Amino acid sequence: MPSLRALAYLGWRAVVAHPLKRAFRQPGTGLERFSAAYVSEGLVPTRTEDRAVGEAASACIACGLCEAGCDLARASPEVRALGLHAAFRLYSRSATELPLARDALAACAACAGCDALCPTGVPISRVVAHLHAAAGRAPRARAPGGRPAPQVVPA
Amino acid sequence: MAYDVVVIGGGVNGTGVARDCAMRGLRVLLLEKTDFGVGASGNSSGMIHGGIRYMLTDRKVTALACRDSGYIQRIAPHLLFRIPFLMPFVSRGEEATLRERAEWYGAEVYVGTYDLFQPLKRGKPSARLSPDELYALEPGLRPGLRGAVTLDEWGIDAFRLCVLNALDARARGADVRTWTEAREILREGGRVRGVRWRDALTGEEGEALAPVVFNAGGAWSPALARRSGVPVPMRPGKGVHLTLDRRLSNYGVICAAVDGRQIFVMPHESESIVGTTDDDYYGDPDDLEATNDEVEYLLEGAASLVPDVRRARITRAWCGLRTTIYAYGPNEDALSREHQLHDGAAHGAAGLLSIVGGKLASYRAQSEEATDRILELLGRPPVPCRTHEEPLPGGDEVPDPEALAREWPVAAPVAARLVYRHGSRAREVLRLVKEDPRLGLVLCRDEAILAAEVVFCVRHELVRRLQDLRRRCRVGLGACAGVDCARIAAQLAGRELGWDADRIRAELGDLLDQGWRERRAIADGAQLAQEELLRGATGLFEVPG
Amino acid sequence: MTATTPEGLQADVLVVGGGMAGAIAALAARAAGARVVVARRSPGATALSSGAISVAPHRPAHPDEPLFARRGPLDAARAVAATSPDHPYARLGLDALDDALAFAARELGGLLAPALERPRVLATAFGSAVSAALCQRSMEAGDLLAVRGPLAVAGLAGHLAFDAGLVAAGLARFAARGGPRAHAVAVDLPAVVAPAAKPYDLARALEAPGAAEELGEALRGVLPGGAGAALLPPVLGLDPAARVPERVAAAAGLPVAETLSDVPSVPGLRLQRALDDRLREAGVVIVTAAVAAGWAAPGEAVDAGGTPVRASAWVLATGRFVGGGVARRGTLFEPALRLPVQAAEGREAGVHLAARPAASLTVRDRRAPQPLLSAGLRVDAGLRPLDERGRQVHACLFAAGAVIGGHEQATDGTGLGVAILTGWLAGRAAAAAAR
Repeated sequence: MPSLRALAYLGWRAVVAHPLKRAFRQPGTGLERFSAAYVSEGLVPTRTEDRAVGEAASACIACGLCEAGCDLARASPEVRALGLHAAFRLYSRSATELPLARDALAACAACAGCDALCPTGVPISRVVAHLHAAAGRAPRARAPGGRPAPQVVPA
Repeated sequence: MAYDVVVIGGGVNGTGVARDCAMRGLRVLLLEKTDFGVGASGNSSGMIHGGIRYMLTDRKVTALACRDSGYIQRIAPHLLFRIPFLMPFVSRGEEATLRERAEWYGAEVYVGTYDLFQPLKRGKPSARLSPDELYALEPGLRPGLRGAVTLDEWGIDAFRLCVLNALDARARGADVRTWTEAREILREGGRVRGVRWRDALTGEEGEALAPVVFNAGGAWSPALARRSGVPVPMRPGKGVHLTLDRRLSNYGVICAAVDGRQIFVMPHESESIVGTTDDDYYGDPDDLEATNDEVEYLLEGAASLVPDVRRARITRAWCGLRTTIYAYGPNEDALSREHQLHDGAAHGAAGLLSIVGGKLASYRAQSEEATDRILELLGRPPVPCRTHEEPLPGGDEVPDPEALAREWPVAAPVAARLVYRHGSRAREVLRLVKEDPRLGLVLCRDEAILAAEVVFCVRHELVRRLQDLRRRCRVGLGACAGVDCARIAAQLAGRELGWDADRIRAELGDLLDQGWRERRAIADGAQLAQEELLRGATGLFEVPG
Repeated sequence: MTATTPEGLQADVLVVGGGMAGAIAALAARAAGARVVVARRSPGATALSSGAISVAPHRPAHPDEPLFARRGPLDAARAVAATSPDHPYARLGLDALDDALAFAARELGGLLAPALERPRVLATAFGSAVSAALCQRSMEAGDLLAVRGPLAVAGLAGHLAFDAGLVAAGLARFAARGGPRAHAVAVDLPAVVAPAAKPYDLARALEAPGAAEELGEALRGVLPGGAGAALLPPVLGLDPAARVPERVAAAAGLPVAETLSDVPSVPGLRLQRALDDRLREAGVVIVTAAVAAGWAAPGEAVDAGGTPVRASAWVLATGRFVGGGVARRGTLFEPALRLPVQAAEGREAGVHLAARPAASLTVRDRRAPQPLLSAGLRVDAGLRPLDERGRQVHACLFAAGAVIGGHEQATDGTGLGVAILTGWLAGRAAAAAAR
């Protein structure tokens, strides 16, 4: 049950406090304020072409057949351990964590040897190239995943 | 064994109370019938929100909720992630009516007022967006929307929140038993004197004596209470969520379902979730599956604003049972989300305290209140609560994934998932890789689960069955449904826990059964191909001799 | 030979799909004298299979039944047909099964071990054992009925996916039923087996000169006395020409075999590559592209990755959900030709059920047959797809393999057997129809 007191307070906010706040205390447009708050944390808007690539990557069933044509020879052992299909499953799933895969995606030699290997029709080299470009473009988030920045709690 | 308090239920209330009681020096036994968080807690929307709805009744409650959200960030910073929500303005006609404009202004004022509390939980201020601004942020929304207001909230891995509370309780001296059911509450002369329990895996039975029993059994409480002759009134409601395989957007969108109920599509870790339904549930709490009509209800509502949901890959449909406070009359949405502590004294069970209702976001405050009551029942002097001050395991620091990747043999995207699940304890996982490079094997491409992480969880996180790893480190939960990870995880867990070949096979079958229950209502598109691949690969191991 | 004209490729038979069913259909049509084009998008379910060819599972009459009592593939297939009326074995009859299997064994003679009267009893990487009608040469020595002396299950240190102790413990259950005693041993080979290496990496590493020999020598060092054979993880080379098992065996001084595989499957990919090689050898033209048939019919030109292909008869061997021969987006459909897909629910089966919700076409018991997962085309006894009313769609259109409904590899273990039987029949029928 809404209380009268609470409603009266909200009424005061609506009539007096909020118009004043809008007039004097809010710099920039709504979009500018929103972006200032979130883009620095990596919470960037999704572009239509990113979403299309995400949809294409969604067809990956982690069968690993693409790896028969790609041993990621240029990658570090840690990236090789992830394999090529990590591009469709791990790296591409979250725009906030994509920048962390920048080095992994850079290991692609763009030989397109993988393209005829996907049973479910993921356009492999196109997706990898797009992710690589997107990872390079994305701002490096100080706190990936939109998490609070690292902090130490006093004991 | 004699205790001060036996806590029944390993959800967030049970583990939270166990931790608080242990911190305040009580001898605690925690009994969980299956595993941590399997009921309402882990299957909730996984949000630590600040109680925006209470601004209509008492904004002190909102302030308390926001402060508690801040506390949870302080004790488990690694588990939380920010979710900006867009609340689009929908107009029925060509032109927005005066009334609609007034409602939108009202929404703007309302979230603007909530902004006053946001600093308590490190939230960001709201913004009102014009239609153009809204589509710039989320081009996939259906055309014709009139703008939006935004709202800042936090998400959390609720399974791990329960696990970490239980682990911390154990580290502070509590005895914690999973897969151990409280069969009966023992009474004598109008007082409880303990609990009779049974270990579901070994068949071992026993009695644990304690002057206070805290019942946080959730939807399973009524059955236990019936066996013990103490009523615990509650109105269980089934809530279904869908998981999409990736972050459709970094922003959540609030939508209206066909019946006008509020539902949402929101990013959650690396996935998106669509939720939720709320329907009275009279069935068996152990036998819960999402149905076709619940899935379609959610999809229709979500697609009304985010049409791309129809093309997204749905990986799971999962459900939990809310335990709302009993009331006859109101429909499900109108039920209070408050919590109540029932004292069994009126029913000849003094010393039995049952919790009904409540919210994930307020678990810590609820646990504090319950622990205060427990001390009272025990006749102990009050001891101050410190659950908001001391970090949960791994919560003392959030290492930077890229720094970890430079220091340890791990790729940065893997380090990020590891930090998310384990916080500062990610280093302990990586130490295993350094000692045994074989454990650097990546078991799962979806969730970046290292073999070392499975070994770490089995050794240190109270894993008794393979399916527990679904909740510890998301084994078998990703879109690949276990193609990559299930068999090897079973082998690793089996080696650590000394399982024989038959037990390993049975545990693997059980893990796959759990996944199938969550997928059969949504088997479509790529997920159906995934199912075929998974069945083909695992079917080989399940042939009769 | 297949004619390449300015208008594209001219052939008698176009096979869409290049897995086991498509390849056998193409080879059978070729053997019947037809000019054949195979259009296939990518490797599919065959490359993801265990690597051995099971025709039908063996269901023991009682738990202690001796292994040597196992019946041959024809008997096992008859047992399947008797209990599943919708299964292709039941609908097509099994008269041609022996000929089809013999044909496959001949065509893949370089890869497969010779067929026996009895089934091979082969170990999986999880310590269970399955019956297979045919197996690769790399698996032959691991046939539980053929091992003379104890079986040494050898794990490679660094390859966590294969737990030798678990496999040995699993196989020990068969010792009382006529199988060998099994012991686990560990081979440490840091130069070849990188920590956390994946199966394809290991298979490639073992193909390198000297690597297989090194493995063999290391193996000899840890073998228990009197061992009859050694069982290794399924990573013994991707290319049969690299002769990895033979080289390991020569250096180790005893027969060596690999287990069956799950996904990703080195033996499965090896099988797929052997099919590809055999197709090329036989003079079949392979076009690596998806076929956009639209509403065309056999005899008309279809587009395969920009190349028009005109053939008098078509064989649809596009697989099921993994291969993309059948798909579901709200409702089940067949993407290439929009043929009606049949599903089954309970005892009822039919095209009208294809639009039922997923939960209505599945049952709660995961191990039980799932109508949704066995959905596919309906065919007549001549393997011609049928429309909604049960009439054949086109006299020169045939189907083979998993695109045909009524069976599911995971629950009935008949996947490759159906592929070979239907591929052989469809290939011959298409060649005959094209004339």
